[in-house]
Amino acid sequence: MTARTPNPLAPSGAAAWHIAPPFGARGVVGLLLALLLCFAAGQRVEMGRMFALTGEGLMAAVGLRDSAQVSSGLAGIARSMFPVQISERTEVARIEGFDRARLPFFAHIETETVHEPRLDPTTLQMTESVVEREVLVEPLGYAWHVLAKMVETLEIALWATLLAVAMSLPLAWFSARNYSPHRATYHLARGLVSLLRAVPELVSALLLVLAYGFGPIAGVLALALHAAGFLGKFYAEDIETADDKPQEALRAIGASPLKVMRFAVLPQVMPQFIAYTLYVLDRNVRMATVVGLVGAGGIGQELKGRYDMYNYSHVGTILLAIFLTVFLLDQLAARLRRRFA
Amino acid sequence: MLRFDSVGMRYADDTVALETVTLHIPRGQFCVVLGSSGAGKSTLLRMANGLVVPTRGAVHVDGVRVAASTLAGLRPRIGMIHQQFNLVLRASVATNVLSGALPALPLWRAMPGLFPEAMRQRACELLEAVGLQPTHLARRASELSGGQQQRVGIARAFMLAPPLVLADEPVASLDPQASREVLMLLRQQAAERGTTVLCSLHQVDLARSFADRIVALRHGELVFDGPPSRFDAAAARALYDEPRVRVATAAPMREAA
Repeated sequence: MTARTPNPLAPSGAAAWHIAPPFGARGVVGLLLALLLCFAAGQRVEMGRMFALTGEGLMAAVGLRDSAQVSSGLAGIARSMFPVQISERTEVARIEGFDRARLPFFAHIETETVHEPRLDPTTLQMTESVVEREVLVEPLGYAWHVLAKMVETLEIALWATLLAVAMSLPLAWFSARNYSPHRATYHLARGLVSLLRAVPELVSALLLVLAYGFGPIAGVLALALHAAGFLGKFYAEDIETADDKPQEALRAIGASPLKVMRFAVLPQVMPQFIAYTLYVLDRNVRMATVVGLVGAGGIGQELKGRYDMYNYSHVGTILLAIFLTVFLLDQLAARLRRRFA
Repeated sequence: MLRFDSVGMRYADDTVALETVTLHIPRGQFCVVLGSSGAGKSTLLRMANGLVVPTRGAVHVDGVRVAASTLAGLRPRIGMIHQQFNLVLRASVATNVLSGALPALPLWRAMPGLFPEAMRQRACELLEAVGLQPTHLARRASELSGGQQQRVGIARAFMLAPPLVLADEPVASLDPQASREVLMLLRQQAAERGTTVLCSLHQVDLARSFADRIVALRHGELVFDGPPSRFDAAAARALYDEPRVRVATAAPMREAA
């Protein structure tokens, strides 16, 4: 074809034998500039104060100082959260249709005496009266309640992930440059993918709560939309970078694009797809607790309620439950990845 | 069977890949295209199944002109074997061979991978014919040697019993021993089925021992067309340029500085 004779412009001789050092003066100057920029940004977000306060807190913790704002604040939270709330006590009189013969599992009834200040109607003086009342004690009542809410959270995350995968597969097809049927569909799909990712879950949950009302539907949809954008982008990028040689082999014998995708692309990208999907599931579990804060169902709703009522020991239970769930999910995801990748 | 009518290929940057070439390959012939890299072998081969569209002339397969409107019907009848084998490395050997039958499979069967029993049977027969073992079926293609991978490539190419098979440098990535074995297999499979083969090679000796007919290209021009017996040393020399790179023996590099 071309270039049958050696290129006369190519350098030759000793001058051509030269290996450049890994970086030069320009690289050093660039790095210094970047560092300066970081310092300026740190100034604006009060990083100096952060380090000072943290330092004081650490010194107080090891006994070099009497007290510090940070450590006393954290200690206050810890004191009010621990021990975490496990049991549930309910006044029997307040339970509707209470059946003494059929108590819940592990529950028993206690009689407690309460000193209640009360206004005496005859003397119009505050007197302290002693009231005896029965309470139903469920030793694992609150833990059980949190578990049920956690399960609901997991269900929200599961369905958000399922819907996200279902939505992102066609999105990925259209936003993969080599499979999108037209330039217009490519740009349209890419735009949609960016839009979906640009709206934070919390914001779309707020709007969806207005549309679907309080409860898990808004949570599922908010998480699914955001995750669909994320998965659509990453699936598409994997499809684009998949090895073209096997695809060409199938195209050469006239297999349709859908079949090429299924047999020449999917086997190549499967490990990555599984990794992304597991990450999205993991992220959805964490985010499902957050979207609950705006009333989109799950344990977040419980968390917000307890936090607003200053029930910090209940908040402690919930945070512990979230931590345990995320930890267990990490283990599970690692196992699944090893299995399929 | 396969007719190239004064086909030529000129890229947008005025690079000429193929000058005017006219060639007719009769049914059942094992035709080898010889030439060095860049001589236009791949371009010629790829015109036969429309992977490359010629800028002039026309290609006919079985009397049907290769064009955008006829490709869907033609391609399933043209098998192809590739230099880099082009297997799905993470997929099993069985899936790789079966995927050669995809054009004949309805979509509802293709998506869940439900190949009918007859196709699975055929895949097994072909794999046995190219000398692989039943234990290879479930292995990933990546676990096979180069020669074994190209055997899978051959089995895949014959899945739909195509009357024409294109082999684009099928042994360029293989060692000499494996090259002979693979070409032997390809020739044998084609002979058993009466398949026409258009195969590009750059090794003169391999072409001499396996071809029914040798076609030689140089700088995109047809410079030889005849039986292997007529392809002598002079014809072979005429194919290749003078060596471009001379190894410096007299003056070591350091002295040049």
